[in-house]
Amino acid sequence: MSAILTAEHVTRRFSPRVTLGDRIAGLLGAKVDRRAVQAVTDVSLQVQQGETLGLVGESGCGKSTLGRMLAGILPPSEGAVRLSGASPMRGKHKTTTRIQTVFQDPNASLNPRIRIGDTIAEGPISHGLVTRANAPAMVAEWLSRVGLDPAFATRFPHQFSGGQRQRVAIARALAMQPEVLVCDEPVASLDVSIQAQILNLFLDLRQQLGLTCLFISHDLSVVRHVSDRVAVMYLGRIVEMGEAAKVYAAPRHPYTQGLLDSVPKLMLGGNEGLSFKPISGELPSPLSPPPGCAFNPRCPKATELCRRERPPLTAREDGTLVACHHA
Amino acid sequence: MSALLEVAQLRTHFLTRAGVVKAVEGVSFTLERGEILGLVGESGSGKSVTGFSLIGLVDPPGRIVSGSIRFDGQELVGLAPDRMRALRGKRIAMVFQDPAATLNPVLTIGAQMALAVQAHGGGSERAARDLAARTLTRVGIPDAAARLDAYPHEFSGGMRQRVAIATALLHGPELIIADEPTTALDVSIQAQILAEMKQLAKQSGTALIWISHDLATVSSLADRVLVMYAGRIVESGPVASVLRAPLHPYTRGLLDSLPAMARPGEKLNQIPGSTPSLLSLPPGCPFAPRCPRATDICRSDPPVVTQPGRMALCHHPLEMAAA
Repeated sequence: MSAILTAEHVTRRFSPRVTLGDRIAGLLGAKVDRRAVQAVTDVSLQVQQGETLGLVGESGCGKSTLGRMLAGILPPSEGAVRLSGASPMRGKHKTTTRIQTVFQDPNASLNPRIRIGDTIAEGPISHGLVTRANAPAMVAEWLSRVGLDPAFATRFPHQFSGGQRQRVAIARALAMQPEVLVCDEPVASLDVSIQAQILNLFLDLRQQLGLTCLFISHDLSVVRHVSDRVAVMYLGRIVEMGEAAKVYAAPRHPYTQGLLDSVPKLMLGGNEGLSFKPISGELPSPLSPPPGCAFNPRCPKATELCRRERPPLTAREDGTLVACHHA
Repeated sequence: MSALLEVAQLRTHFLTRAGVVKAVEGVSFTLERGEILGLVGESGSGKSVTGFSLIGLVDPPGRIVSGSIRFDGQELVGLAPDRMRALRGKRIAMVFQDPAATLNPVLTIGAQMALAVQAHGGGSERAARDLAARTLTRVGIPDAAARLDAYPHEFSGGMRQRVAIATALLHGPELIIADEPTTALDVSIQAQILAEMKQLAKQSGTALIWISHDLATVSSLADRVLVMYAGRIVESGPVASVLRAPLHPYTRGLLDSLPAMARPGEKLNQIPGSTPSLLSLPPGCPFAPRCPRATDICRSDPPVVTQPGRMALCHHPLEMAAA
């Protein structure tokens, strides 16, 4: 196996844009908050050819920002993303079609005024993957591969249900014949029964096409189901990364443990107790992360060392990477 | 002692330009005092509209077209608006999905909670603020007296939902209807709120209707569960037995759709198709087009309740397991 997609020490900051009004207010003595949010800090990872890497974390942990950098649609502030050794971007622009993205909300990612057949054909035509004359046949083939009637090509997005729209979004991404597919919460807005259909479709297509995937989700059971390896993020950094089976069976980082414990399980034998154990406290603001380990204010194992020094992400004997002083 | 809430043949319809949307179509159930009832279904199943009907918050073009809702012996269908208002917030309270939308952004937490207290004749402003602070402490907000002067935007999502829950608890209601109250929250915060709600309900003897799409959440919280599909209750019973051995093929399908029920990487046992439009339901069982057990009778005749107690609205219910 070889790494197809790598991130080397990538960091992404978002600075508030200072408007003229802010500047005048500043001159007049008002306090203008110009602190930058560091959404992703010093993340390095490799995605191997043919594998699916799951990226989990709660809102604000930086998983979507990292996904967008890996997909070549957001440049890192520091560090580098490489797709087979080369950057997927030049300046602010993506320069490859080899990596494609499926977003969470197909209502927002499909143009409501364009027929879905044209939406699917637009990219392949403009990149010369298909001629305009052959486009309808290609669209029909992709629609049937994602389980839609090829006759739907002339319909508009509003004529579809949420699950069908997500199928269209998947067809559009795959029609570009990518080697790597980034899925950012592709099933988060779907009902349980529709979610199962889309996950099955994803598993099928991944196998048929030999895709490499980055699968981003807040839903731990969904990520477990589709991933070979998993990376857990907290406040912009990866705190644990390893084979999904190992991380889920024996989580090492106290945050991973807490996160897995806090998911309610199906209780089939009565519910006198609770099937879950909450993590205490709240997510800290990314504007002012705590010193030392970012998880220390919520961590049951935290010591003086954790409050002072940030633990590095280091490999353990079975290959899992963990960033914790006490694990 | 009679049940706290008895709902019989409730039908709530929306009279739209496109036709009559039968959002709730013949829902019947009872709720005992102090009981936690899970109301489960996918979008469009009618679970939220059922909740809104109970508390008299169905807006036009929707209306309750027939049926009965008896709360502590009093009929709520057709009750005069001022008498409904006297109950709402005092004896029946509601917690909504999105606390950012239910809290007033331009009032401090203390001010809006005091309004809720005084809406039901609760004494002085000072007493109202004291009660607000005490209730906020109960739901786990630290330093509550000082936080009364904060605005909703100064709270995190989880803390805002705690404020909404505290507001519901102010008058010690006998019934709280919670509509997907943790759906918008992160996993670790959801777990905190769930644990607190279960404890609060059991402590105060408040009955709780927990509306959710998440079977796992309901399984760890509720005593009984109602499963809704296309405006109907298709299955009901004690939560553990319904989930362990569902009678209705839809409940079985929902459980099998969960990735947690399958081995990683294996295909999930999916339900084919999608939920039918409530404007044009099939003549027989509304689940028939997606059901693996459907026969001709399912496509022509609506099913009737087969087994009371453990109820399933199905012509061909699954076998009850020996368990």
